[in-house]
Amino acid sequence: MSQTGNSEGGELRIGVFICHCGLNIAGTLDIKELVEYAKTLPDVVYVKDNRYTCADPGQEEIRKAIKDYKLNRVVVAACSPRMHEVTFRRTVSEAGLNPFLFEMANIREFSSWCHPSTPKEATERAKDTIRMAVAKARLLMPLQTIEVPVTNKALVIGGGIAGMNTALDLAEMGFKVYLLEKGESIGGHMAALDKTFPTLDCSICIEGPKMVDVGRHPNIELIANADLLKVDGYVGNFRVKIRRNPRYVLEDKCTGCGECKDVCPIEYPNEWDMYLGTRKAISVPFDQAVPLIYTINRDYCIECYKCVDICGERQAIDFNQKPEEIEIEVGAIIVATGFDIYLPYDMPLLGYGKYPNVITSMEFERLILAAGPTGGKVIRASDGQKPHSVAFIQCVGSRDKNKYPYCSNYCCMYTLKHVVQLKEKYKQDVEVYVFYMDMRSPGKGYEEFYDRAREQGVNFIRGRVSRIDEDPETHNLTIHAEDANLGMPIEVEAEMVVLATASIPKKGSDELARILNLTRGADGFFMESHPKLKPLDAPTDGIFLAGACQGLKDIPYSVSQGCGAASRAATVISKPTWKIEPIIAVVDASKCKNVTGKCGICAERCPYGSIKIEPNKPAQVITASCHGCGTCVAECPQDAITQMHFTDAQILAQIRAALEKDPEDKILAFLCNWCSYAGADLAGTSRFEYPPTIRAIRVMCSGRVDRDFILEALRLGAGMVLVAACHLPYDCHYISGNWKMKARMDALAPMLQKLGMSPERFRVEYVSAAEGVHFAELIREIEAQKQALGKERIKAENAKLRPFIENMLKRKKQT
Amino acid sequence: MAETEKPKDVIRASEIDPKFKYELLKMHGSEKILRCFQCGTCTSDCPVARFSDTYRPRTIIRMAQLGLRDRVLNSETLWLCAACFTCTDRCPQGVEVASVIRVLRNLAAEKGIVPAVFKEQANSILTSGYAYNIPELKIKKREAQGLPPLPRGNPESLRKTLKGIKFFDTIQKGSSSS
Repeated sequence: MSQTGNSEGGELRIGVFICHCGLNIAGTLDIKELVEYAKTLPDVVYVKDNRYTCADPGQEEIRKAIKDYKLNRVVVAACSPRMHEVTFRRTVSEAGLNPFLFEMANIREFSSWCHPSTPKEATERAKDTIRMAVAKARLLMPLQTIEVPVTNKALVIGGGIAGMNTALDLAEMGFKVYLLEKGESIGGHMAALDKTFPTLDCSICIEGPKMVDVGRHPNIELIANADLLKVDGYVGNFRVKIRRNPRYVLEDKCTGCGECKDVCPIEYPNEWDMYLGTRKAISVPFDQAVPLIYTINRDYCIECYKCVDICGERQAIDFNQKPEEIEIEVGAIIVATGFDIYLPYDMPLLGYGKYPNVITSMEFERLILAAGPTGGKVIRASDGQKPHSVAFIQCVGSRDKNKYPYCSNYCCMYTLKHVVQLKEKYKQDVEVYVFYMDMRSPGKGYEEFYDRAREQGVNFIRGRVSRIDEDPETHNLTIHAEDANLGMPIEVEAEMVVLATASIPKKGSDELARILNLTRGADGFFMESHPKLKPLDAPTDGIFLAGACQGLKDIPYSVSQGCGAASRAATVISKPTWKIEPIIAVVDASKCKNVTGKCGICAERCPYGSIKIEPNKPAQVITASCHGCGTCVAECPQDAITQMHFTDAQILAQIRAALEKDPEDKILAFLCNWCSYAGADLAGTSRFEYPPTIRAIRVMCSGRVDRDFILEALRLGAGMVLVAACHLPYDCHYISGNWKMKARMDALAPMLQKLGMSPERFRVEYVSAAEGVHFAELIREIEAQKQALGKERIKAENAKLRPFIENMLKRKKQT
Repeated sequence: MAETEKPKDVIRASEIDPKFKYELLKMHGSEKILRCFQCGTCTSDCPVARFSDTYRPRTIIRMAQLGLRDRVLNSETLWLCAACFTCTDRCPQGVEVASVIRVLRNLAAEKGIVPAVFKEQANSILTSGYAYNIPELKIKKREAQGLPPLPRGNPESLRKTLKGIKFFDTIQKGSSSS
């Protein structure tokens, strides 16, 4: 393929347009000199300066010049590409040129604005910047925006309150929705609750009708009692494999009459009741279950077949039912898998599991629920008596660095609910203590609810409980804590203790993360694409998050997020096709080592899991899910992967152009588009001055920065080399490109130092888009270090390095 | 009066009287005591707390809320409040802190727990009409300066009023038990 990729296959004809930006650029830089200089650059056939290139007349001049001078590459030297790259891409495409045959040279934020007191040096930097842009422009290739078809259906994983709302909203918008539920019934944790705070309305009374709506909505296909096995594909085109687990009751024949349950002789502890109650071997977990289909627990069933007899002609019971695998196709996936509740068996000082009268909040919930196993009576396990004093212990497992360091969000509120319920039910006949570290009630109407609890005479004791002792005779409990408000240790006796235990990531989150290529935060919950601006999107396109699986939240927030995720998913599945920027990774099958041996490094390092590796086949990039960070390109030991628009050849050409003259005086910087380049832009817009010896190369992600780029820069004699990235750990816009870059450079740096390079000459730094000051200070610091080393020392080091580097770069084709 | 007091080092379950707070809820001045969430505004703005190592209105409210009846009623700091009502003015939860302290003092007095200095003062008012005894020398000095004589108190009618509200029973109990 021709390096130029020229559509006419002929000579390169580059047009350079230099913008005055009023006096923003022309006030500092010598425009005339820039124009004359640009004319001397290879393949440049036309140079023009405009007062405002981005204004209509300026754009018109570009369009006209493309036609008049048969330009097939356009370089605009003006502001930051983050400002107007999109504008000019459109301009050139209006003149019939492929939009990717355009390159921008940033001479405003990166020159006139940040070096106003050294106009001569600023003009030199601008010249180099234009030369680097022309060098890249000569190697640009036309690219086509990729379009993939979209399946207009969605899959919602998890039928709790968040997932149900997502499914209902999407179904109401007219989309077909599959709602996958692992358990026998939808409803989630909410269906097991008695009341909801702060209004104390009955939980199942408000959730039940929603569950029924989901069950009978014509656009929702409910797949309960089933597991997610596998997901293939990408945004708009997911293929999902699901296993329906046998209920031994046929879904289409069971009428939910419950006659079978009445004759079944076997009972077993009901998980739904926190094992406080029992259910029959053939039963539904609770009366309002949706779908209302009975299930036989074969672990307990004695196969007496009484249920088969009573079911009779309906023939709904089938002991030979087998697991069934089904495959569906969807365009978007919403993960709403919720959370689990920690049971503090491993905190012996609190006595859970040892003392009968120490229970968890969820157990208390089932006790006080009228439809629960005790008919709504709060009673002690030791003697079946109503307790006259109950102590609630907050933050059991939460805010504990040894267990779960995060705050579980809603425990304060549900404990307030429990104490208000107790006080309203038993009045002054029960003394209630709450041991807390901080009382958190930030929601609408929540603080007022806290007031209500205090005014009812609940004793709030600020202090974490260190241990609970039991009187073996009475089974009463003594709670040890400090009353921090009095600054004294305190011992309180209670007849029952309720532990508000941490909520934790759902069991199986690891496997789900693997199947869907989700990332999990340090707390184990799924990471959103951006904590502020993309809180509902998973980093992988077409996958969204709703409810507590993304981070613990209460019912109103779960509902809001469920509805929000539905509307986010609709932005994908409402379109017939999905457009993808062509700046993606492409594998050269002839170079890929995986064809003959075993490699797969690219697949392992890809933050999105967008590379498929099969034995003896070249690595395959899943185009639609590639986000174009270029990490795989930098990682490939064979240089078999290329990132379109940021090819090795293009970046190497920029490096060479940057270091053409006096390389020892230069600081060569690789800046990632989203954070460090934006930070450098901010230094410019804020007019923070820094030394004009820097030459910057933009990459989409620091993960793209190949080891070879550093080596080539040093081979050419670069004074200082800087790689700047988004901050660790979570700022990377490509999940973990910065981490991959760091690992790579952490290995490279000691090697270069061993070969005699001063350590300060190659640096990896982290600059956010808000850190203009930091960027300017950083460059000043590097310049000072460079001057301290001195040109001669740098030259000497480079001479020593060169033979080794040349050896290392041997395999790299000198393009 | 010694300002410092030695607290018992641990609050034991037996010391907590859960009914105490309900009693306070019914008394004039301490109806809103349960609203207190221990923010400390009262103590921060208290002019007495500024000069005392132990007097903390927040702590008094806390002991009362928790039902540490004996501890709070025996607390010597209870008597340090100057009744300026700044705390009541500043409380974000509307707790009338100074009034709660008055209620607690009344309860203490009923039990006969009144510091000797307060009792002396009361006796002085009842006998002479003055809060403290004015030495003869001072009165003579006033006369020498040509100042008018001090107004006479009316301890008799005061005594009558106090008798009506059974003040003496309380004081009597106090002096017999202390």
